[in-house]
Amino acid sequence: MKLLRELVFPLLAVLAAFVVGGILILLIGDNPIQAYKLLIGSALSWPDGIGYTLFYATPLIFTGLAVLVAFRCGLLNIGAEGQLYVAAFATAWVGITLAQRSAWILIPLCFLAAVLAGGVWGAIPGILKARFGSHEVINTIMLNFIGIALVSYFTQYHYKVPGDPIMESSEIGQGAHIARLGHFIHGLPERIPLNLAFVLALICCVLVYLFLWRTKWGYELRATGASPTAAEYGGISIRKQIIIAMTISGSLAGMVGINEVLGYRHRYYDGFSDNYGFTGIAVALLGRNHPFGVVIAALLFGVLQRGGIYVDGFSEHVTKDIVQVLQGVIILFVAAEAFFRGQFGSFGLLKRSKV
Amino acid sequence: MTSKSILSLLALGLLALAGAACHNQSYAADDKSKIHVGIVFDIGGKDDRSFNAAAWAGVKCAESGKWPNGEPCGKAALNIVLRDIEPGNPTSIEPAMRAFAERGYDLIIGVGFAQAPIMEMVAKDYPNIHFAIVDGISELPNVASLIFKEHEGSYLVGMLAAETSKSGTIGFLGGMDIGLIHRFEKGYEEGAKSVNPNIRIIQNYVGVTDGAWNNPGKGKELSLAQIGKGADVIFTAAGNSGLGAFDAVEQAGKVNGRATHFVIGVDSNQNMVKPGFVLTSMVKRVDNAVYSIVEDVVNKKFQAGFHVYGLDKDGVGYSMDQFNKDLITPEMIKSAEEAKRKIIAGEIKVTDAMLK
Repeated sequence: MKLLRELVFPLLAVLAAFVVGGILILLIGDNPIQAYKLLIGSALSWPDGIGYTLFYATPLIFTGLAVLVAFRCGLLNIGAEGQLYVAAFATAWVGITLAQRSAWILIPLCFLAAVLAGGVWGAIPGILKARFGSHEVINTIMLNFIGIALVSYFTQYHYKVPGDPIMESSEIGQGAHIARLGHFIHGLPERIPLNLAFVLALICCVLVYLFLWRTKWGYELRATGASPTAAEYGGISIRKQIIIAMTISGSLAGMVGINEVLGYRHRYYDGFSDNYGFTGIAVALLGRNHPFGVVIAALLFGVLQRGGIYVDGFSEHVTKDIVQVLQGVIILFVAAEAFFRGQFGSFGLLKRSKV
Repeated sequence: MTSKSILSLLALGLLALAGAACHNQSYAADDKSKIHVGIVFDIGGKDDRSFNAAAWAGVKCAESGKWPNGEPCGKAALNIVLRDIEPGNPTSIEPAMRAFAERGYDLIIGVGFAQAPIMEMVAKDYPNIHFAIVDGISELPNVASLIFKEHEGSYLVGMLAAETSKSGTIGFLGGMDIGLIHRFEKGYEEGAKSVNPNIRIIQNYVGVTDGAWNNPGKGKELSLAQIGKGADVIFTAAGNSGLGAFDAVEQAGKVNGRATHFVIGVDSNQNMVKPGFVLTSMVKRVDNAVYSIVEDVVNKKFQAGFHVYGLDKDGVGYSMDQFNKDLITPEMIKSAEEAKRKIIAGEIKVTDAMLK
């Protein structure tokens, strides 16, 4: 019954979004049924549709988890975008610098680079908040600009192949490539970039769940988010929890770099992120700030991203902006749920979730 | 609002959807007797009034025999099915190309050099599909590279610039500092020096990143600085940033009804952007190139490799229309046409800065 109640509002939100989107498509002069058939059919076809949907969902699982962990501690991490850029560049940097090493050394080092770089970039606003009380929303937004500009600079002036007009680094060593799932699954062509990072994302999801609900540290983190004063009274150091939460959050966001650099392009490519960090906020919200909810929400957003291209290309008038509309309306309705329950407020969503 | 009213709203919406399903307006299904062409635009999108717009005009002409504004384009419609995707961000370019490829399209056109490496990845996976890349270079057996001899067209506008300049100083405003734009610069310089060997050329680039194509503010500042140093004709090859140069020459004003400083447009015919201030435009006929690659596929004569469009095939040139007929004298046209003939005949060799 509790599970059902948790599911019913997100489902209603998605349904409502599709209805609103359908009315818009009608107004544009197209057929909503056909457009949705195109959208969902292209996203769930085997093997290309499913392969790409899962591939698009992978970074959103990571960023969704990142936002979730911070959220549970009462923090809003808007900086996942910057954290994943810095981490992706760090991953590529290790992959390029140590290109000659064997896979056994290189892949763990690259993983470590992604997690550390993302963690450090997330820890900075955490420390600033814990030490000086400066608001993490402002700091994470600012660090997005700084991080993205910084890695663009390094790419442009130090790690680009000379003469290449495209803003990308040189290629990482062969040893750092991680296998695509097509390598293991029969019928899934290897050209589809779905890779082991997807499995890693699922593992992270379980780990985050175990951490938050089955360990003492997770309890302290959630207690801080639920009621800082009560937590402090209970002997929990709020400052420590803020730094821990932001570091874990940043590390999770940073793992997007593993998917992008080691599994897909094998280089740092400027502008590779399609707002994964910001979409992660929506994913966490729709997933009700629960790791398993995040996976489901990320899959839905993966479907939308994959199908959006098809709707753009093969419908008469609808462009892929319809996906933005659907996402926007979903978020609107999910956020409105708190309003329906009379708990509208900046942390209404958090308040409701039981510790 | 109660939850009841929300639910009734939802029900109404569902009814509306059901109504839509009844009148069955079908999408143009994939009719395999026709050639299917998919085009993937650059970040700028198909209405950028310049490079992408020219590519869109070319495929539209091939589809319907008309320009996008409905006027006849003077060529035959080729009975194709045409679909386009505007990716809007760099991450959507590859999925867009793959969407066409998965659907078994016959020809996939990518617009802009940045798409070349992405197209190579996709083209390797679909060896039986034809690909064409505008401005980019690929040596795969199923990719046609549509490239332009921008240096030849730039040579001609360089001559016109040198003949117009009274100060003996002219300017060049490039977008991103890359080989492709050096090609414009070098041709322009050689053309100007063929008229006046002592001419001074000031050149500036807006930047070194993608952002350099879309920074009209900096474009204007650089142009004003060039004007300050005495340049009275400025050739832009800077995409949207070039529009800053148009503002700069307009700001310099007119004396006795004639502009004191001029700008030379690029890619599409931009003479009408600031009439009276635009000496001419170095046009790149992307539309012609795109039309003929579609035509090749329709006639089963597709050839991979380099398709080079120079002065000989009217792939590049300078634009003349009612907006600049008073700015360019018949003698100037005569000398430009003479140079054009010599370049085609090989008597004048224009340096291609990309072949260094």
